[in-house]
Amino acid sequence: MRLFAVGISHRSAPVELRECVDFARQGVEPALAALAERKAAHEVVVLSTCNRAEIYAAADSDGASDRLGRFIGEYHGIPWERLAPHVVVYRGQEAADHLFRVAAGLDSLVVGEPQILGQVKEAYAKASGAKATGALTNRLFTTAFSVGKRVRTETGLGEGAVSVSYAAIALAKKIFGDFKKLNVLILGAGEMAKLTGEHLRAQGVHQLTISSRTFETADTLAGSLGGTAVRWTSVDEALATADIVVTATGATEAVLTRGRVEEAMRRRRDRPLFVIDIAVPRDVEAEVGRLDQVFLYNIDDLQAIVNENLSRRASEVQRADGIVREEVARFAAWMQSREVLPTVIALRTRFEAIRQSELKRLEPKMAALPPDARARVDEITHLIVEKLLLTPTEQLKSTGDEALAVAYADALNRLFSLTSGRREPEADE
Amino acid sequence: MTFTSLLPLVLYVAAAAAYFVHFSRPDPRGGRLATALLGGAVLAHTFLIGMQTVEAGYAPLVGTTAAVSAFVWLLGLAYLYVELTTDERAMGVFVTVLLAALMILPALNPETEARPALLRSPLFTVHVLAMLFAYASFALAFVLGITYVLLFKEIKAKHLGFFYTRLPSLQTLDKMNGRAIIVGWVFLSAGLLIGGVWASQIGGSTDPRAQAMGIADPKILFALLSWGTYTFALFARRTIGWSGRRAAWLSAIAFVIVLLNLVPVGYFLTRSHNF
Repeated sequence: MRLFAVGISHRSAPVELRECVDFARQGVEPALAALAERKAAHEVVVLSTCNRAEIYAAADSDGASDRLGRFIGEYHGIPWERLAPHVVVYRGQEAADHLFRVAAGLDSLVVGEPQILGQVKEAYAKASGAKATGALTNRLFTTAFSVGKRVRTETGLGEGAVSVSYAAIALAKKIFGDFKKLNVLILGAGEMAKLTGEHLRAQGVHQLTISSRTFETADTLAGSLGGTAVRWTSVDEALATADIVVTATGATEAVLTRGRVEEAMRRRRDRPLFVIDIAVPRDVEAEVGRLDQVFLYNIDDLQAIVNENLSRRASEVQRADGIVREEVARFAAWMQSREVLPTVIALRTRFEAIRQSELKRLEPKMAALPPDARARVDEITHLIVEKLLLTPTEQLKSTGDEALAVAYADALNRLFSLTSGRREPEADE
Repeated sequence: MTFTSLLPLVLYVAAAAAYFVHFSRPDPRGGRLATALLGGAVLAHTFLIGMQTVEAGYAPLVGTTAAVSAFVWLLGLAYLYVELTTDERAMGVFVTVLLAALMILPALNPETEARPALLRSPLFTVHVLAMLFAYASFALAFVLGITYVLLFKEIKAKHLGFFYTRLPSLQTLDKMNGRAIIVGWVFLSAGLLIGGVWASQIGGSTDPRAQAMGIADPKILFALLSWGTYTFALFARRTIGWSGRRAAWLSAIAFVIVLLNLVPVGYFLTRSHNF
């Protein structure tokens, strides 16, 4: 039984193709059913996210990878000639390495992004629910989950915001601690204002106030976000009660001048004010940032934080790689011991059979011996067999190299004419 | 210098080192080790103070050295309480450095001083304990204030780094600072009041120290000055909105007055409190 990972990802295929290959569109269950119907492999898990569509499978023959690749094309109605150059196949240990890297967030478009581990878990749960998994994929995925968790807790790979909106939210958390009591004022009612409003609302802010030069657009946005709209002329009052101000207007000159914010700070008795200026050209005078208790961040400042976090994540990649390597080695050793297990059992059976037949042959000669002496003979012969088998068994199980282990097993099969061959791996779990 | 008198210092220094390591490279195991070392230090210190009490037959609060020792002990306890209730270890490095530095004084001079007749009043013990507990509270406010300013500067300068990843939010630091000052102020007021009552009781004594009890004595003057500063800090926070950075600076400056009063004034200048 071999392990395969077959599919496309943002590394191998352009977005036009990834859009077409999307198992998640109709849910992965029909895909799992189709795979089962075709008997493409013994065990399958389908992982489908916006940036990848991959099938993890355990199958007997090497031809499975080709079958699975073609299945991806046929299932989505894409000609094989178009898909084939982008399909990547991982075999055996490589497949485990790939999945562990995916689960750790190392293979993501944004390295270290946290969603992927949840998506891997969901893919496995669905496959498991459809009874498509087996001993090999069970172990593979549970190990992948623990790799993901270890990388998250032992390295800084997932630390620091890597998008502008998350950077702004992380900053607000560092200033105010808790969003529940915060009043947010959004100036502008365009697309950026809407997106930021949605982000902030998701954080559970106390109150969302929106103002725009045309009251109607502000009112519409306020309606969709569950906030309140105020007239452009009442912005000064709103400033006095807000904790966070987001400016995203299309104005060509500064909306918030130093004087205006200074006045607001007086009215709010110098409680901290976090001003996020995401407009280009800027809505807030740079001078505003000099006011005590005012934290002013514009789009470039936030982008700089994001860049810094990204480079910090990059430096953590090595440590995450180390964890992945460690777990791959452990998983490979486990696969190895599974592969050679039938040979080990056959070898032991063979030796035991020889011992028994020899004992039987000598039976007439030993008949004269007292019972305890006969028992001793039985014990000694048993010990000899055990000792003879000890080292070969250990060597066989601990060989790091997959090809070498197979060669060993093959040699043993021939040398001792072991007939049992390879068992079905499912039987031993 | 005995093993018992030296052990708390050694453990405070070890705890400070552990908090420092944990602060520069946060990991849960290092954090637990730091807390355990500090807990051990406070425990050893408790044992030392207990031994001194049993030997002398009275609480070892006579003299500045003993007062510093009791202050370190109270601050250690107060910090551990805050750490265990808030699960926040970032302040530990600042507190334990202060503890280790101050603990050098009692470790160098572990003798329990004889108690003059003048101090045989329960009011004296209550006065000293209230004052020291107030100072411990102010020390926490000081550390919270310093960390607030450090974090504030990083966010303001848009250079997020060391403190940004290690400290709780500005709001949390500010709130804890405010609370520590309230607690400290209550104990300081009570301590001063009891001290005043006690001073008036011993007014008839011929002891020169009793004669020197008065507003002109540096120790008393500094104590009143710190009370004035903290009262202003409370007032400013409530009525004119001096929270955040101003409150942080104020608590730092006020604690400098407290620290000056506790060590140099206590050792060299006072004529009323030189027991």
